Amino acid sequence: MGEEAPAGMSTAVIAPSRLEARARAGLPWLLLAVLALLPTAGLTPNIVRLLFITFVWVTSSLGWNLLGGFTGQVSFGFAVFYGLGAYTAALMIDRGVNPYLSFVAAGLVPAVAAFLIGLPTFRLRGPYFAIATIGVSEATRVIMNNLAITGGASGFRIMEHRPFRQVEHYYTALGVAALAVAASFLIAHSKFGMGLRAIKQDEEAAADLGVNPYAYKLAIHAVAAALTGIAGGVFARYAAFIYPQGVFAFQTSVYILLMPVIGGIGTVWGAVLGGVIFGIVEEQLVASFPQIHLLLYGGLLILIILAEPDGLVGLLGKLFRRLRTPRRNDGDTNSGGRKADQVLRRAGGG
Amino acid sequence: MTFIDFLNLLIAALLLAGIYAVMSVGMTVIYGVMKIVNLAHAGFMMTGAYFAYEVYERLHLDPILAALLAFGFFFLVGIAVHWLLVRWLPPSDRPTLQSLLLMFGLWLVLQNIGYLIWGNTDRSILTPRTLDLVHLGPITISSLRLVVFVAAVGCMALLEVALSRTWFGRSVRALIQNRYAGRIVGVDTEKTARLTFGLGIAFAGVAGALLATLFSFDPDFGRPFLLRAFVIIVLGGLESVSGVALGALILALVETFSILLVPAEYQPAISFGLLVVVLVVLPGGIASLWAKRRRLA
Repeated sequence: MGEEAPAGMSTAVIAPSRLEARARAGLPWLLLAVLALLPTAGLTPNIVRLLFITFVWVTSSLGWNLLGGFTGQVSFGFAVFYGLGAYTAALMIDRGVNPYLSFVAAGLVPAVAAFLIGLPTFRLRGPYFAIATIGVSEATRVIMNNLAITGGASGFRIMEHRPFRQVEHYYTALGVAALAVAASFLIAHSKFGMGLRAIKQDEEAAADLGVNPYAYKLAIHAVAAALTGIAGGVFARYAAFIYPQGVFAFQTSVYILLMPVIGGIGTVWGAVLGGVIFGIVEEQLVASFPQIHLLLYGGLLILIILAEPDGLVGLLGKLFRRLRTPRRNDGDTNSGGRKADQVLRRAGGG
Repeated sequence: MTFIDFLNLLIAALLLAGIYAVMSVGMTVIYGVMKIVNLAHAGFMMTGAYFAYEVYERLHLDPILAALLAFGFFFLVGIAVHWLLVRWLPPSDRPTLQSLLLMFGLWLVLQNIGYLIWGNTDRSILTPRTLDLVHLGPITISSLRLVVFVAAVGCMALLEVALSRTWFGRSVRALIQNRYAGRIVGVDTEKTARLTFGLGIAFAGVAGALLATLFSFDPDFGRPFLLRAFVIIVLGGLESVSGVALGALILALVETFSILLVPAEYQPAISFGLLVVVLVVLPGGIASLWAKRRRLA
């Protein structure tokens, strides 16, 4: 929603907005180029690792955002897909399969799982779907804890028969994150994406307009799971050791949900921003305050929901609008902007 | 399996159903009146368990008495939480993403407070009565479970009376049926919502305290029970006390008798399995449930 100019100010700012549109279109490419050149600048392995983890989180965040943000179906079970992706990649790489081929499988397996999980759970609506996803993740972890092929609860160590090159992992993660951004924009601007937003706003009305909510939800669930699964696979190859209480933990689901909410639920850049902030903060936070991180995340969630449901992107948008609004017709445009805000809020929050 | 074994399991299931009903009904009333799915219910159940633990350890009061104290204490906590957080949510006649995430955040906060105060080691309440058994001919019943069952049924009966006989209960039922019509005829929505939220949290606290006498607990104690409560609510209809009792009975029966078929390490997945079976086999039932709710709301 960050892309659309609020209704009230379209006449005053036509010329800058065309320039802005061009800048907006160019910005992702610039960002990608900068990030691609970064490793040549001689970063320490620690910084490269931080960026790598951040890309992995950004990818999962974008995946969740497709279902939770675009379609309005909150899932507390994305650790299932993250974990399935991680285990798929781990098992294949360990058996000597090409890692990139393994990442493809790490996307496919969770996508199929998401479809199967969606068949019963999308019969539930809204919050009931959300709680059912807690059940899915509990059941999955129980099974993974007892499965012999993956080593059960004691975890799985990946033996890759190749030298470890951190830069390769960096570029893989960057590529996957870029793929997730591209997929998000493609979906957001497609007819399919419009259908998803219609479902978020009003399922009955969407169905009356010829959108099949059940089929749409199943499809986007699979796409979202594929992205999250690839992120899990990329992470597993880097970590070289995974265990069910880690990748399948409820906490992983919480993190994946938290990122788009922090950044701005339902916007592509919000999900990216949330992933970046979370990636950095989580690395610092876990180091310094491991015993209160649930408290911090829970408090942050409460604060964002009550103070600024549109997240950081919403907050930035408001500041930006206030800054560039010309003084003389201050009241006029502001009221228009606020009205647009209310419309969006209603559309988003229900 | 002999007939006596069967009877023993049946009685165990029935006793379990009582406590399951108490733990689900708090979520049901809050959902009915405010259309909020209270994920923090799990957190309040956990704090209820520790409340009973502290009362027993420090004041040496019987845990069942502690559960009664928990009712009053958590009623006040619920009203405070409503005043502090919940009343700022935009009112809505259907569940919103915002309310779901708000209660989820509150759950995380409660869980972390639990870890800070009590650490992550398992605790349990052991009274002289914990291992007592009552013998009725060939049938053996744990006397503690019997007492918990009686307390649970008492709570449910009191709630039913409160909902059907008092002014407060009438406003609650009015808001469940139709929020706007309720306002038109003069129901004070704000006050009813506040009291309902207090009541729902009070039931979470009581359920936690009662569960603490039967099971060991840690700060993540509420999660499996939140899932069970949810399965019960889906099974039994969304907004009625008797529906909750029926759902609790079904889940308790399935869980108890599944011991004969499912290996112990897969037990935690039972409640979710039941949910999937219901959704796949009876999609019409669930859909019609929703349709009914839509008409009412």
